[in-house]
Amino acid sequence: MTKLKPRIAIIPGDPSGIGPELIAKLLNEEGVCEAADIVLIGDAHIWEQGASQADLNVDLSQIEEADVGKSSGLSWLSMDTIDPIDVKISEVTVAGGTSSLRCLDKALDLAMAGDVDGVLFGPFNKAALTSAGLNAEDEHRYMARYLNFEGYHSEINVLDDLMTTRVTSHIGLRDVAEKITGEGVERAIGLAEETLKRAGKMRPHIAVAALNPHAGDNGKFGREEIDILQPVIESVRAKQKNVSGPWPSDTVFLKAQRGEVDAVVTMYHDQGQIAIKLMGFDRGVTVAGGLPIPVATPAHGTAFDIAGLNKANVGATLQAFNLLVRMAQNHRAERAAN
Amino acid sequence: MTAPIALTSGDPSGVGLEIALRAWDELREKLPFFLIADYDYMRELAQQSGHAVVQITTPDETRAAAKTGLPVLHCPFVERPNIGVEHPQNAISTIASIDQAVEFTKSGQASAVCTLPINKKVLHDGAGFAYPGHTEYLAHLGGVDRSFMMLLAPELRVVPVTIHIALADVQSALTPELLIATITATHGALQRDFGVKNPRLAVAGLNPHAGEGGAMGHDEIEMIRPTLDQLRSAGLDITGPLPADTMFHPAAREKYDTAICMYHDQALIPLKTLNFSEGVNTTLGLPFIRTSPDHGTAFDIAGRGIADARSLIAALKCAGQMAKNRARYDAK
Repeated sequence: MTKLKPRIAIIPGDPSGIGPELIAKLLNEEGVCEAADIVLIGDAHIWEQGASQADLNVDLSQIEEADVGKSSGLSWLSMDTIDPIDVKISEVTVAGGTSSLRCLDKALDLAMAGDVDGVLFGPFNKAALTSAGLNAEDEHRYMARYLNFEGYHSEINVLDDLMTTRVTSHIGLRDVAEKITGEGVERAIGLAEETLKRAGKMRPHIAVAALNPHAGDNGKFGREEIDILQPVIESVRAKQKNVSGPWPSDTVFLKAQRGEVDAVVTMYHDQGQIAIKLMGFDRGVTVAGGLPIPVATPAHGTAFDIAGLNKANVGATLQAFNLLVRMAQNHRAERAAN
Repeated sequence: MTAPIALTSGDPSGVGLEIALRAWDELREKLPFFLIADYDYMRELAQQSGHAVVQITTPDETRAAAKTGLPVLHCPFVERPNIGVEHPQNAISTIASIDQAVEFTKSGQASAVCTLPINKKVLHDGAGFAYPGHTEYLAHLGGVDRSFMMLLAPELRVVPVTIHIALADVQSALTPELLIATITATHGALQRDFGVKNPRLAVAGLNPHAGEGGAMGHDEIEMIRPTLDQLRSAGLDITGPLPADTMFHPAAREKYDTAICMYHDQALIPLKTLNFSEGVNTTLGLPFIRTSPDHGTAFDIAGRGIADARSLIAALKCAGQMAKNRARYDAK
């Protein structure tokens, strides 16, 4: 069966950052416009700004919102979210945050209506989002709330063929150990498995990282491996899942480098992020794991230090696009089947 | 000319002695080192693997002997070790080898100690060895209360402030005093042993995003930053506290000589992910230079000729370089 071509919504992210430039570069990468039907969502002047920053051409063929679900090739849904004079390159602005959120909302609406199969966004600026009324810990929580989604969801970090999920995320290190529960670990394993399947990996191997140095060295430096991790891994394995661990976290990523595992379930933020950013700072992708629609973005930020200078590396955006296409294809096929 | 390096036997049933032979094969007289172990057993082992050993009676014979075989200073094993088997009877031999190596550095007959991996359980069972590990025992022999662990590879040097403790205990173990002692020892070692005239240190935060202004932990604001400020005002070149996840990619690493990390895996994840084969462990704060390969006894693969000698070779080279740097520094 040939895979259906998915339709993807792309929004520029914060207009003050490198997002518009990156999307202009993405659209000019070989194969991108053939891999999916693409709907650009955003103000004409932002796309023009990106094209000019990247010194490339971006073709804007306007369509009406009602026609998005029938569009093919590269098309553009016009928005009016920010006045051109309010775009301040490399600055945190309320207007930039507002523009980001309004484009995101529109993309999510279209995805929920089934008019697009996935959403790619350029980097947001968290301070700008917050000033514009994000009213959430981060954009992932914002999207879940906007979609009225109450299930488990969490940011997933991706590098090439490796995904990482986390049992704990943006909390102080002192609070990590007490937040490690069997339930939490099982959820993070499940999220990794579900997301890998959505990306087309049908029987993924998932490695669980230990919490303590040397995986606790038989309980000498911490008992969480013995008391929590080993039992939950065994119980998940009994459900025919290909899960292993707890592995000492200083060598678990070597398994990933050797291609032996598809995902690493980490216990805390830096455990996975140190390794992922070290192995591919320019290629990391973030997926909004657990949400009912596929959403991906490059892992890096708005990079105000190089915004407008045509220095932004499109690598991570391209990786995000490619992963999103795979997820969106499966999402589309699943919807067609239901 | 600097004195040779003393290499301890470690646990004779592990991979240590076989990789010692291969390290000699690689280094020979380019980097003189001698092994303190049972000569008769080493001769047997060398014959099996097609290497050579030469018995020496004092370290100053090392250089000449190393041309034809691994120089071995006889230190008898109580019983002939079987590979991969625990021999508590040999615990006293393993400890004697360490004691002698340290003695040779005190007398100036050795320029550094490089230790092969030990099995703590064997030492405990056979000799009542009460130290948690090599490092604590060496600190005892060196007459110091504490020491610091640096791990290094060609790509990166890291020093964890807390080491072998549960993650739940890390935050309460971090104190300004410990941070200052660790940074000061690292700064001193970089100047004296690593030839770095003006060391640049990068210090990791404890929390994700280095706490993000207190949103995810206050340790950076309340403890780490004020402590670093104090050290900065004393003239040290320190950046941080930095978000740990963006400190270790290639461009970031160019900006510092050593990363100071708050806990074991914060230091070890980047080091081992960058270079698993050539990691070296060195102990700072001892009165003598000490390095070791960054792996254990590996009983499971011992005797099969497949153990990787690269970490030991790197540890010996590192010890040799540190000894040269220290001699040059102390001569000034």
